[in-house]
Amino acid sequence: MSDAKTMKLVITRFDPDVDAVPRTQEYEIPVQPDWKVLDAVNFIKDEVDGTLSHRWSCRMAVCGSCGMMVNGEPKLTCKVALSDYGDELLIEPLANFPVVRDLVVEMEGFMDKFKSVKPWIITAKEMAAEEGTNRQSPAELEVFKQFSMCINCMLCYSACPVVANEPEFLGPAAIALGHRYNMDSRDEGQAERNEIFRGEGTVFSCSYANECSEVCPKNVDPAAAVNQAKLNAVIDWATGLVIPRKGP
Amino acid sequence: MKDLLLRLEPVIWVLFGAGILVGTMLITGWILIVGLAVPTGLVSADALAFGRAYGLASHFVGRLVLLGLIALPMWKGAHHMRHLSIDHGGAERDAVVAPILYGIATIGSIAAIVAVARL
Ligand code: FES
Repeated sequence: MSDAKTMKLVITRFDPDVDAVPRTQEYEIPVQPDWKVLDAVNFIKDEVDGTLSHRWSCRMAVCGSCGMMVNGEPKLTCKVALSDYGDELLIEPLANFPVVRDLVVEMEGFMDKFKSVKPWIITAKEMAAEEGTNRQSPAELEVFKQFSMCINCMLCYSACPVVANEPEFLGPAAIALGHRYNMDSRDEGQAERNEIFRGEGTVFSCSYANECSEVCPKNVDPAAAVNQAKLNAVIDWATGLVIPRKGP
Repeated sequence: MKDLLLRLEPVIWVLFGAGILVGTMLITGWILIVGLAVPTGLVSADALAFGRAYGLASHFVGRLVLLGLIALPMWKGAHHMRHLSIDHGGAERDAVVAPILYGIATIGSIAAIVAVARL
């Protein structure tokens, strides 16, 4: 404990039963040099103030539940080192989301966005078990693998200026997810998803800020997915002009 | 208007994408030649003598390149400014802003076609 120092954490508090608007609370706590930001928040919850609410689970940047604004930037708090910051730290709930309590945000609308891009393999005809397995080469996997690494941490929604202005915007992670299935060699649902992608508040609402890819802790590069999805939606649209689609 | 804009989005996006390509690559090259290489004597000024330049520009391919150079960056600019407006809280006024910006790009493009055709 010899190299312990103290640090001031300024944390947003909000109890919908008591507070009309969020307020901040300051905590001076002893911190260890090897702590992540989440360790400090957990310390407050366990040792200082049990009323503080926040989400976390895996502590290894996999579950995606510990996202918070750290000094104004969306971060996975179990991934960022406390030592990257000075003596004072501002911790707020993820921006662009309704706050349920303290650092906990509402995710329901977000889940609906995910469902709307049909994130499953669509096939024209179910394959019988006797026909064997669907094969995919490493090269075919490589085409979409990066986009499948998303952990749904929502940092990209928090960073996106379009989400901030248009909360109904489908958003980076959901578009990347839909694009991931469109690029899957086993999938036959491209036409359906491209139709969705040409709808209101989807790929063409993106304003090329690239913030999503800047903050993504898993290097998914959702901005690349969004822009590839734009190109695919355009090609699909142009093809539809030349070769009329079969009926539904 | 919203529906129309949505339906035109693929076309606008292609023009915008082409505008980026032209704007960042060709115009950069153009500025390098006209603004740096010729004044510093790296390229002889004779290379841009009126007769030569006119011959190049009035050739069919030359006209097409000129048209792209003039018209496409206008679409890039219009689209960028539209999104700038939306990002700065202009989702509501987009139904007015977008037609104005794309209208300017359309008029500019038509003017470019006329100018290039009359070369
Ligand atoms: S606690 Fe699971 S990602 Fe941070």
